[in-house]
Amino acid sequence: MNNSAIRNGLGYATLALMLAALFMVFDYVPPEAEQGIAQLIFYFHVPLAWVAFASFGLVAIAGVFYLWLGDQLWDDLGYAAAETGMVFCTLMIVAGSIWAKPIWGTWWTWDSRLTTTFILWLMYGGYLMLRASADDTPQVARFAAVLGIVAVLDVPIVIASVRLWRTIHPAVLVTKQGGHGLEDPRMVATLLVCLAAFTALWAWLLMLRFRQLRTRSRMSALAVRIAFAGAALSDPK
Amino acid sequence: MSAPVVETHGLAKTYGLAPVLRDVDLALLPGAGAFVVGANGSGKSTLLRILAGLEAPSGGRALVFGQDTRKLAARYRRRIGLMAHQSFLYPNLTARENLEFFADLYSIADPRASADKWLGRIGLAEVADTRVRTFSRGMEQRLSAARAMIAEPALLLLDEPFASLDHDGAEIIAGLIRGAIERGASVIATAHAVPEIGGVEFTAYEISRGLLKEHAHKEEVRRGGRLRSLLGR
Amino acid sequence: MSGFAAVLRKDLRLELRSGESTLALLALSMLVLVVLVFALDAARVRSVDAAAGALWVAMVFAGMLGANRALLAERDNGAIRGLLLSPLDPATLFAAKLTAALIFMAVAEVGAVILMVLFFNLDFDASIARLAPILALGAIGFSALATLLSAITGRTRGGDMLLPILAVPIFVPALIAGVKASAAALAGAPLASMGDWLKIMIAFDMLFVTAGYLLFEHVVGED
Repeated sequence: MNNSAIRNGLGYATLALMLAALFMVFDYVPPEAEQGIAQLIFYFHVPLAWVAFASFGLVAIAGVFYLWLGDQLWDDLGYAAAETGMVFCTLMIVAGSIWAKPIWGTWWTWDSRLTTTFILWLMYGGYLMLRASADDTPQVARFAAVLGIVAVLDVPIVIASVRLWRTIHPAVLVTKQGGHGLEDPRMVATLLVCLAAFTALWAWLLMLRFRQLRTRSRMSALAVRIAFAGAALSDPK
Repeated sequence: MSAPVVETHGLAKTYGLAPVLRDVDLALLPGAGAFVVGANGSGKSTLLRILAGLEAPSGGRALVFGQDTRKLAARYRRRIGLMAHQSFLYPNLTARENLEFFADLYSIADPRASADKWLGRIGLAEVADTRVRTFSRGMEQRLSAARAMIAEPALLLLDEPFASLDHDGAEIIAGLIRGAIERGASVIATAHAVPEIGGVEFTAYEISRGLLKEHAHKEEVRRGGRLRSLLGR
Repeated sequence: MSGFAAVLRKDLRLELRSGESTLALLALSMLVLVVLVFALDAARVRSVDAAAGALWVAMVFAGMLGANRALLAERDNGAIRGLLLSPLDPATLFAAKLTAALIFMAVAEVGAVILMVLFFNLDFDASIARLAPILALGAIGFSALATLLSAITGRTRGGDMLLPILAVPIFVPALIAGVKASAAALAGAPLASMGDWLKIMIAFDMLFVTAGYLLFEHVVGED
């Protein structure tokens, strides 16, 4: 089947890209002058951020399509995107913490990026909790779609407000805006490879999870048809 | 022959994995009445809720006034009245306040006069200013019937309207149904057994195992309503 | 639009008759403020930051309770179905429920402000008047958000716990803006100086009132 070829191909591509990324980060790229080796986490942090936010966006888009077209496929996609995104968002928070400790000596800092990520993480968590506790409600797909849409629309406002919060009252621990000052072309190359590697990993995991949820949905639909057929068979003649 | 007020084609509804309605075909002409008889859990309430536009079918189609029930515009919803097991009444409002609220919602010209008129018809005029939470089940049911009929709907859907009513209460409800049919409304009512309502003729149906068929003791329909029934497949 | 007025009038009448929601909201606001006085040790010190923070905490809790109550009235006897059956537009229903929640929250806010001034050693002067538009913006946004979300959580297992979990992260931007603006107002700053914060709150309000209006029909139906 075409899909499984794509999935497997993506899996191998992920493996290759990840190996390349690891090599480049730990062997190839020169460490940054000021922060030393702890700065390397930046090459993981940025791709994780991109993937976590992109996944969230996908949750909302899938929600819109579900409300519009009503096809269970969109609900499954949204759920898969939420679960996958949650994984990467959690990793991003962990990465942020790992970076904060050697640089600033504390396990957490309320800089604007980490704060926004944490809020995103809470939104993901809420979405997944809604899914979990509404499992037996037939409308859970609609509820999740609406929640996803509403949360994503909120994200730009969150970013703006957190940024304003941090500039007016800068935290004692001011972080370097890691996106600027990539002087060495080797740094740019490493970043790009890491971006590609994490995007591939995300896409691969998403496809796997999506396929699982699709199978589950198809099985439910099949079970309903069997129930109908069974009832018909035992109708009195 | 005028267009049917209600039409269903292959209507199906599943809750989880259990099919409640399987393949229901029904047609009801303006001014006709139908009784759907069935045991508890046979799907009669579900059928009415789908026709009222409260639930969407899992399969097949339901049309009311020629419109798909999943997308009923406000002007069609105005012409449907549903009386269900739940009364839809507010326990902390008085009988009159409840009726006035619904009259207001259905854009009736003089809500207060309308409420008073219906309170008289259902015999609750003396308790008009008493809160519904103090009502007996029978009183609440009569009020619920008035709520369903206050906008004089063209289609009346009644889910077990005679349940838990005494003789007087049943007479009142029967009178209301008679009045509705006389002014040209179509009625679908459900029950556990075919009741006697003097003065009007109904077609009786039976619903069981998710299928609808004509009742074993059916009667003729006055006014030439044509009804198709499905005897199972 | 008569539907809007009918529903709102009904909700207000129900509330005036029993008064239990308003009482609960005021009690909750007061208790939250009391807890914070002790938690922040604000008994001796005059602190506008602590006062503003405490006020908003009380408002958020009261707001969640208020929105929940506004929709709760429809659960008795399946009344919500009666509304869905009627010609009433779900979007109009949202507007009516939002307004009811807003009124509840406004009453709680007035009480909370009075208590805040008393508990946190402030003065009843012009700075309190400057709070009004800030609190109003906060109430509108939060009521819209909570009305939309409680339609979801009300039908979910463990819904009461779920509402704060869903509402708080989403409310964060308006919360930050509201607390900052409130603290500034209490410290004597003019409203013109808080332009950025107010813009954030206005953006939030516009987003959630519109989103609620458009999306309410999807969360309030049977399936």
